[in-house]
Amino acid sequence: MVDAFAYVPAIVLLPFFSFLVALGAGKYLPKGGAFGGIAATAGSFLLSIWVALTVLGGREYNETLYTWAGGEQFELTFGLLIDPLSALMLVIVTLIALLVHVFSLGYMNDEGETGLPRYYAGLGLFTASMLGFVVADNLLMAFMFFELVGLCSYLLIGFHFRQEGPPSAAKKAFLVTRFGDYFFLIGVVAVFATFGTAQFAGDGSFPVLAEQALNGEFDAWTPLGLDVGTWFTLVGLLVLGGVVGKSAQFPLHTWLPDAMEGPTPVSALIHAATMVAAGVYLVARMFGFYALTPTTLAIIAFIGGFTALFAATMGVVKEELKQVLAYSTISQYGYMMLALGAGSYVAATFHLMTHAFFKALLFLGAGSVIIAMHHNENMWDMGGLKEKMPVTYATFLAGSLALAGIFPFSGFWSKDEILYEAFIHGLNEPLLLGGWIMGLLAVPVTAFYTFRMVFLTFHGEPRSDLARDPEPVRWNVKGPLSVLGVLAVVAGFVNMVPVQKLLGVEGIDFLTQWLDNEFGGIEGVQYSAYNDLLATYAGYEAGTIAGSEGITLIVAAGLGLGLAVLGLLVAWKLYNVPEPTEHTEKLGGAKDVLYNNYYQDEYQVWLAHRTEDVAGGANVFDQGVIDGVVNGISSVSLAGGERVRRIQTGLVTHYAAMLTLGLVALIVVLGVTGGWF
Amino acid sequence: MIIEALIGFTFVAALLVLLAPNEWAGRLAFALSLVPFVGSLYLWSGFEAGGNALTGGTIAFESQIEWLEIGGRSVSWFVGLDGISLPLVVLTTFLVPLAIVSAWTPIDTRQSQFYGLMLFMEANLLGVFMALDFFLWFIFWEAVLVPMYFLIGVWGGPRRKYAAIKFFVYTNAASLVMFIGFMALVFGLGDSVSSFGLPEITQALAAGELGMWFGIPPETLAMAAFLAMFFGFAVKVPVVPVHTWLPDAHVEAPTPVSVMLAGVLLKMGTYALLRFNFTMLPDQASMLAIPIAVIAVLSVIYGAMLALAQKDLKRIVAYSSVSSMGYVILGLVVFTEYGVGGATFQMVAHGLISGLMFMAVGVVYNATHTRMIDDMAGMADRMPIAVGILVAGAFAYMGLPLMAGFAGEFFIFVGAFGADAALPYAPVFTALAMFGIVIVAGYLLSAMQKTLFGPFRLETDYEVGPAPFHDIAPLGVLLAAIIVLGVAPDLFFEMIRDAALPVVEGVSVDG
Repeated sequence: MVDAFAYVPAIVLLPFFSFLVALGAGKYLPKGGAFGGIAATAGSFLLSIWVALTVLGGREYNETLYTWAGGEQFELTFGLLIDPLSALMLVIVTLIALLVHVFSLGYMNDEGETGLPRYYAGLGLFTASMLGFVVADNLLMAFMFFELVGLCSYLLIGFHFRQEGPPSAAKKAFLVTRFGDYFFLIGVVAVFATFGTAQFAGDGSFPVLAEQALNGEFDAWTPLGLDVGTWFTLVGLLVLGGVVGKSAQFPLHTWLPDAMEGPTPVSALIHAATMVAAGVYLVARMFGFYALTPTTLAIIAFIGGFTALFAATMGVVKEELKQVLAYSTISQYGYMMLALGAGSYVAATFHLMTHAFFKALLFLGAGSVIIAMHHNENMWDMGGLKEKMPVTYATFLAGSLALAGIFPFSGFWSKDEILYEAFIHGLNEPLLLGGWIMGLLAVPVTAFYTFRMVFLTFHGEPRSDLARDPEPVRWNVKGPLSVLGVLAVVAGFVNMVPVQKLLGVEGIDFLTQWLDNEFGGIEGVQYSAYNDLLATYAGYEAGTIAGSEGITLIVAAGLGLGLAVLGLLVAWKLYNVPEPTEHTEKLGGAKDVLYNNYYQDEYQVWLAHRTEDVAGGANVFDQGVIDGVVNGISSVSLAGGERVRRIQTGLVTHYAAMLTLGLVALIVVLGVTGGWF
Repeated sequence: MIIEALIGFTFVAALLVLLAPNEWAGRLAFALSLVPFVGSLYLWSGFEAGGNALTGGTIAFESQIEWLEIGGRSVSWFVGLDGISLPLVVLTTFLVPLAIVSAWTPIDTRQSQFYGLMLFMEANLLGVFMALDFFLWFIFWEAVLVPMYFLIGVWGGPRRKYAAIKFFVYTNAASLVMFIGFMALVFGLGDSVSSFGLPEITQALAAGELGMWFGIPPETLAMAAFLAMFFGFAVKVPVVPVHTWLPDAHVEAPTPVSVMLAGVLLKMGTYALLRFNFTMLPDQASMLAIPIAVIAVLSVIYGAMLALAQKDLKRIVAYSSVSSMGYVILGLVVFTEYGVGGATFQMVAHGLISGLMFMAVGVVYNATHTRMIDDMAGMADRMPIAVGILVAGAFAYMGLPLMAGFAGEFFIFVGAFGADAALPYAPVFTALAMFGIVIVAGYLLSAMQKTLFGPFRLETDYEVGPAPFHDIAPLGVLLAAIIVLGVAPDLFFEMIRDAALPVVEGVSVDG
């Protein structure tokens, strides 16, 4: 029998070959190497499905394949970890990568862009790196691919390098995430120092050793005399630094809106569906470790809830289509972090999946509109596009309903589950409850900005000549939109937990079963095991209203859905009119704050400038004081510069002679004092 | 005999090139320089790891010929290799042909002398890494300075005289201090050693043979010797605060000379620190662990901050070397397998990466005739391949995984973080030094954004076009080597580790 797991390396390597082909031969190939990328991602997608089906058949894979550096203290290795979580992620990433490659034919090739080989090379390398990250079986390998993903993000954001904006945005994206990765790297090193391994799963893996250390069964190294609990919390927070950077959480979220300078398909793939998900995926991947450290979890939940609300409010005033989507992305990843902090591994993964579909859809839909509008992204120049672009409109609407969390679209199910889990656990933990409140408040704001965007773009009267006569889009744009449109509607049905609980219908919580190893997986790396850890070490327990799970469910779901509908209706009232006007004046002083993104960029720029000032000061000090002292000493010791100059302008033989003479003199002096002769 | 053949051939090649006409000296030098490279590959293929050459391990390709006697101690031609020196030998022979090709464009006067000196320098560098007798080693060590002095002083920039003299005096003075320090050790060992062989001296020191000398107790003597040698080598590395000769030398030196200076000459300092200070006097190193770690962290952070302040592309790369060498010192002082091994690996990795960066900046300079960041923009538009490789090199410098720099830095970090047995507060020092990876990204990304991207801008009266093939080719070869070592660091790390372990085990760690 042929084993699907034997082909997992091919899933990663196929896009890597498409990178090599596009880079090396792209300019000789039709469409700048696009077909190679499409073929490679299609192949990876099919293989991923096969792998997922194999996992469904009850198998898993956790093997070291390559020793990167051997050592006696510990070995640094590469390996593959295929379980329900990574198999699901493989399918998501390869599917979206495939659709984005196809879409790029319409967005890049048909628009006459130059530098296409470089573009497709970047996409290929990105896809390969992301997939390498997904299948990583240890923290070091995950970190390495995490960084490579960052490189690809840099290269693709800066794709239009001849302009001023994209290179600057690319630099910012890499630098801000690098700041987060600094802490992540300390975390990786700390995990090695503490446990001697960085394996995610299996008997000797670091989450298992961490649990044993807390029970006193394993003697973990800790620095500076810290006790194990405190140290594990610190390690968890260090790794979280990388997560906050890549998943664009407060306060390291500022790079993502700027990253919209990249081509729109890149935004869809990297800055919405996959790379930004890497942070959340990482926490899920090592959830067995995080479940042991309640403080870290509470911080994750609070950051998540805060980011969800904070970013959503900024989305309200944006004028450009992609900017709204960028802040929305930040906000939605906040929800996933909230879910993880609340201990709900399934809800976070669920939202990661539905969001990947509907946000990729919205970005590609925005790309379709941008093609139609000849690259004008300002929503105030749009309006009335729904009749002229029915496919784009219908799919965009499906994505928007999902994003706003309207029943029964996919986003409703996942967001509802997050808020429910945050609520029931928050009843016993104030920080979590705070996260829940902020997450709940973000719901109407999300619905509002989403439909403000829909109405301004597609409804009303056209507000510019461009909008009156949009450029048509082709199959290569409509095809990917349709696939994602269907997924945005139906993806939520894989996990209808509330329905199951209320009506007692069995078997409609497929995703929960999947992630709980009902079909297969690695012992201990599963939902119920995490719940046990949470209950034992983090003291998580679910609360209820009026002692009834049913009432709690209905209250939580009703609250979420009601607020979402409220936000939608306000947007309807204000913007679904033939000639909409700006209403931002009503916000008063808050308007400036929101327009300027709470001055978050300003303080980071200020920090950068102060660092440069310090560097300048150091430079003056170095030239003046340190080098000054050196020059002072040398001018004293070389008194009689003329004589020295005469010596210094000799021939090589002169020098060799001088050197030998000096050496002999030295030996004689030493010899005499040392009594050699 | 193979080592003698290697060094001897390189000297002869230097002489041949010196006598060749200027027109084809460059090509001849390149062809001849491939022979030592092939020779070093031959050494590599026949190499079997057998521990550390100084601490009693097998010495590969050992060759010892009695030469003369000084004060009852024999001086011999004594050469050989172990897992620490072989990678550096390969690095040297690999970089020289590439540096020679990179000189074809910028060096347009007195070519035969230039290339002759390059090969003369190579021969001496090989001697430094292969010599196992102190006097032999010292002669090579000093003789490296002579070609370097002329290479900067004759073919350098406007302030070449100043830079060359500063380089020469600075490092020569340091060598003197180091020499005295080492001699004090030899005197202290008295009759327990019969030669200047480094293995014998190392093993005598390890056996506690150091005695009184002129009423100085052995502990004081060892400490004084350690400090003198540390100062001598620290200048060469260089570490803060004895680093100021480096940027001047780099800025004035022509590209291929900078490649050799950053790529190999700086490693003489760290190599010697490892061989002498940390292998021979590990207890003194342990006693001074905290001050040395402070110097390491200071070099990383202060060097990076200085790089951040520069307006000249070459100065940026020059200062970043100070930063990278700080990591090496940190790796050495923690006395762990990954720390000392990583430090040695980082020497090779940094040699390749800084070589690539200097060459790439040189290629841009060939086209622009300026290195000032403010004078140019959008170079990617005109020389896409060169700029592409420069960007790749910059990411290698930033420690991008699967490139050699990450491997070296990660080994050092992972070796240092948990090493609080040898270095108190090791996690704190390591975390502070690691912040260098953020600053390096800051200055390299900013510099690239300003010079390589955006709309093209450069005031010239000629058309700026793509670089010629022979400028690009060495860049590509270096980049490939960097990636190969990043993907498979064990190519070198395995033998390095084997030679580093005895050093690590030699240190007696208190509690």
